[in-house]
Amino acid sequence: MSKWYRENAPITADQLSDELMRLKRGSVTRRHFLGVTGLGLATAVLARQPGLFNSTAFAGDLGTQMSIATWPNYHDPATFEAFQAATGVAVEVNVFGSNEEMLAKLQAGGTGWDLFVPTNYTISTYVKLGLIDELDLSKVPNYDASTETARFTNEGVVDGKTYAVPKNWGTTGIALNSAKIKKPVTSWKDFFEIAMTEADGRAMVHDYQLTTIGNALVSLGYSFNSIKPEELAKAEELLIRVKPHLYAINSDYQPSMRATDAWMTMCWTNDGAQLNRDMPEIQFVLGKDGGEIWSDFYAIPKSAANKAAGYALLNYLMTPENAVKEHIANGAPTTDSRVMKLLPAEVTSNKIVYPDEASLTPLEFGAAVTLTDPGRAELMARFKSA
Amino acid sequence: MTAATNTKRNLVTAALVAPAAAWLMIFLVLPFIAMLVFAFGERAPEGGYQAAFTFAQFANLPTRAAAFWNTLILAPIGALACLLIAYPVAYYLAVKANPRYRLILVSLVVVPFWTSLLVRTYAWMYILGSRGIPNLLSMIGIEDVRMLNTPGAVLLGIVYGYLPLMIMPVYVSLEKLDRRLLEASADLGAKPVSTFFGVTLPLSLPGVMTGVALVTILLLGEYLIPQLLGGGKVFFIGNALVDLFLQSRNWPFGSAIAVTLVAVVVVVLMVAMRIAFRVAGTRQVDLV
Amino acid sequence: MTSASTNDIEFRSVAKRYGAVTAVSDINLEVPRGAFMALLGPSGCGKTTCLRMIGGFEQPSEGTVFISGEPMNGVAAYRRPVNMVFQHYALFPHLDVEQNVAYGLRQMRPRIAAGEITRRAQEALEMVRLGGFGKRRIHEMSGGQQQRVALARAIVNKPKVLLLDEPLAALDKKLRTAMQIELQTLQRDLGITFVLVTHDQEEALSMSDFVCVMNAGRIVQVGPPQEIYDRPASLFVADFVGKSNRISATVDGNASVRFANGARFSAPAVNGTRGAAMVALRPEAIHLTRNGAASADTLAGTVTHRIFLGSAVEYSVAVDGLGDFLVTADRRTLGDGELVEPGEKVGLAFDPNALHVFPV
Repeated sequence: MSKWYRENAPITADQLSDELMRLKRGSVTRRHFLGVTGLGLATAVLARQPGLFNSTAFAGDLGTQMSIATWPNYHDPATFEAFQAATGVAVEVNVFGSNEEMLAKLQAGGTGWDLFVPTNYTISTYVKLGLIDELDLSKVPNYDASTETARFTNEGVVDGKTYAVPKNWGTTGIALNSAKIKKPVTSWKDFFEIAMTEADGRAMVHDYQLTTIGNALVSLGYSFNSIKPEELAKAEELLIRVKPHLYAINSDYQPSMRATDAWMTMCWTNDGAQLNRDMPEIQFVLGKDGGEIWSDFYAIPKSAANKAAGYALLNYLMTPENAVKEHIANGAPTTDSRVMKLLPAEVTSNKIVYPDEASLTPLEFGAAVTLTDPGRAELMARFKSA
Repeated sequence: MTAATNTKRNLVTAALVAPAAAWLMIFLVLPFIAMLVFAFGERAPEGGYQAAFTFAQFANLPTRAAAFWNTLILAPIGALACLLIAYPVAYYLAVKANPRYRLILVSLVVVPFWTSLLVRTYAWMYILGSRGIPNLLSMIGIEDVRMLNTPGAVLLGIVYGYLPLMIMPVYVSLEKLDRRLLEASADLGAKPVSTFFGVTLPLSLPGVMTGVALVTILLLGEYLIPQLLGGGKVFFIGNALVDLFLQSRNWPFGSAIAVTLVAVVVVVLMVAMRIAFRVAGTRQVDLV
Repeated sequence: MTSASTNDIEFRSVAKRYGAVTAVSDINLEVPRGAFMALLGPSGCGKTTCLRMIGGFEQPSEGTVFISGEPMNGVAAYRRPVNMVFQHYALFPHLDVEQNVAYGLRQMRPRIAAGEITRRAQEALEMVRLGGFGKRRIHEMSGGQQQRVALARAIVNKPKVLLLDEPLAALDKKLRTAMQIELQTLQRDLGITFVLVTHDQEEALSMSDFVCVMNAGRIVQVGPPQEIYDRPASLFVADFVGKSNRISATVDGNASVRFANGARFSAPAVNGTRGAAMVALRPEAIHLTRNGAASADTLAGTVTHRIFLGSAVEYSVAVDGLGDFLVTADRRTLGDGELVEPGEKVGLAFDPNALHVFPV
């Protein structure tokens, strides 16, 4: 279990009275007292309710609690433990399966997130809707725009202002269990064919319109970002045809793949790397007919309750020494040359994480219009409810 | 009685009713009105709601026919399956079980409620997944059975999750059943089976109808079990709502579906209660 | 009354135990065909257990219950030719009055035609003077009416024996008296055996042909009401059935009873008692006289309390050396029609034959 938990482990009565006396004498801090006695656990839980337990005595301080919205299997838990050890701020992690979900939560308000991880194509919409702040880069001294790859950072800048800084980049490919599927899978066309034949009942698609509709479009020879009604209609037809053969529609596919309940899935780079590392029979391939290349960013919601902690965590994550640990744990390729230099050779030579440039050529970045296009949203909903 | 005491009594009544009325107003009536307003509006370009007056959302309802259909079929089937299992259990607890152990046995029915349904449903994901029952079956030579992410798995999850909600009202109505009525029936020459159908069952119908209505209504809004045990493929109205509010951000259409669902629930409830009243022959039907 | 053919109910050496607790034991009882038998006793005496063993709701632990000469061991309640009026009526709340009454008819095999069921249910309702109430709901009926519905429901199947478990306990006094008469009439009209359980001795005495007094799980006396009242078989019966004055005494060889204060009486009915005894004397067997002197057959005392009851007067009289006596006096007993005032000296006279002597 985490250090945070151990620090909050129960305490004997003697120790309690001892600590209480020390607190009264002023020789320990309140935070230490709460941590040692386990009362911190209770306050931490209460503090999760925004505004309910935020002591004014700590205004200007980082507080004891913050919240981040991110993606499944996307961080090293040790990172947050180390951050807490350094700052005293416990990080609550919320994971999501689609950018739409994150957007919906922010639109509805009251998320309590202090930092979140949007994907490249969504940032302009967040800015337009006034949901994120321009970043005060003076509070993120460890970020260095000059060491970033422009291809992956440019969408964080809108009208010359930096609203988001890159976390890492990646691709959306196909993970398949080669012990179960013998036919070669090299394209999205193959993916949907095999899903209805050899992997009948064993294939997964994302619960996410961008990739599920996008890859269906690609398999039919259209653009990943198409919003043309007739092309979408073809994609819908394919998706509804394949649906009865699917194992599940779910963006959290790692558990099913690891249990071999599912044999094949749409898969993000970092998940592909993690699965392949633990189960070598699971391979990760990019569609030669196309697919998605993306970069994920860190941004701070306008509604954040504890922006100080949000910036502190962001700066911590932008520190190359920390980012490299994150990288090794989650397997998503970096956008930062400082981090690249620190990586061991077995990571930089991993073809799942850093594929040949040629295989990236057919891939497309997601387009902002797909996020808000009602046609794609409705298509996804019809597909799921069919 | 004087007018003054009358006024005083009215004030006391008003004071007693006020918290409940305020609660209903804030958490039921106002949200429902908001939902009604949304239902006749339009989706804003980036999602959410923008004011309008249109029936387009209701005209769009047929696109969710499958979700309505799944729900309206699986919810009553689930409730009925619950009832078929719950009735004998409740009967045993209320009538046959040794009174000394009855409390313990009844607690055992309720104990699972102390654990989150989410956790228990995850447990079922493991049991029905490849490493669970299908793995056991493969040991006896039955290969590649798929249980998880099927309508059957959803039905099983529903029955499992909602069983206590069915057992309790049936148990309460059976437990309250006057044993002398059963003796009277036997005394008048009724065999045990006739007594069951002539006295026990009709008198437990309020509990049965309460349970069926409760489970059906909750199932109409169910979202978690189909999501987890149906792999996102078995789609209930609840899932359609989650999608509309959390993915497409189409609040007006989501509201239109929710309003329609409320209408369905009201009709289901009224029909169920009417049947219960008629059969029980009294207006004093206990809601648990 | 030993032939099975003349007894509708017979208990032979019946005992009923619940675990280590004995509810009734050593029950031997015969109820002649067409008789009205009351099982009388304080609560917990086992009378209801006996009734339930006839109904088939309890099985004897020992011995056998016979109905019309047939042993009933292991015969389920629904197969027995008896019907019961339950203590709180146990009417079916989900059925209307007529459906309640028809319930038993519907259980008959071979089936009875629907028209016939209705006709017979109506007939039974009319017998209890509820014709026209058939479509009423049970909860719309008063207590007395519910009582009649229960009766109609129990007699509609024409049982050999009608069992009544404290049928009048829930009714007020006036209604109870009316129902007592109605029950007697009904029994005479139907000509079937009634077995009534009650803790009310007046009810038992006024309605039944035979009273079976029970105490602590055993039968203590069976007989016609007058016999039970006039010749109680034990001090318990003397106390429980009607009121009695209890006097400590000794009995010598000549059936001579000497009270604790030295007064002597020659009592013919000493039941073979010798030595220390307890004597029971009914309050109405005592005559008050205005002169307070004791004589050969008179005790002397002082009136301490007076309770005026209208047709009669109850006096509490302190007798030297014997404590308080209860005396019920007809207003004419004293000749002048005047009441005796508390504090007045009186004489208590009685026929020695009225003394019931029991060993202690």
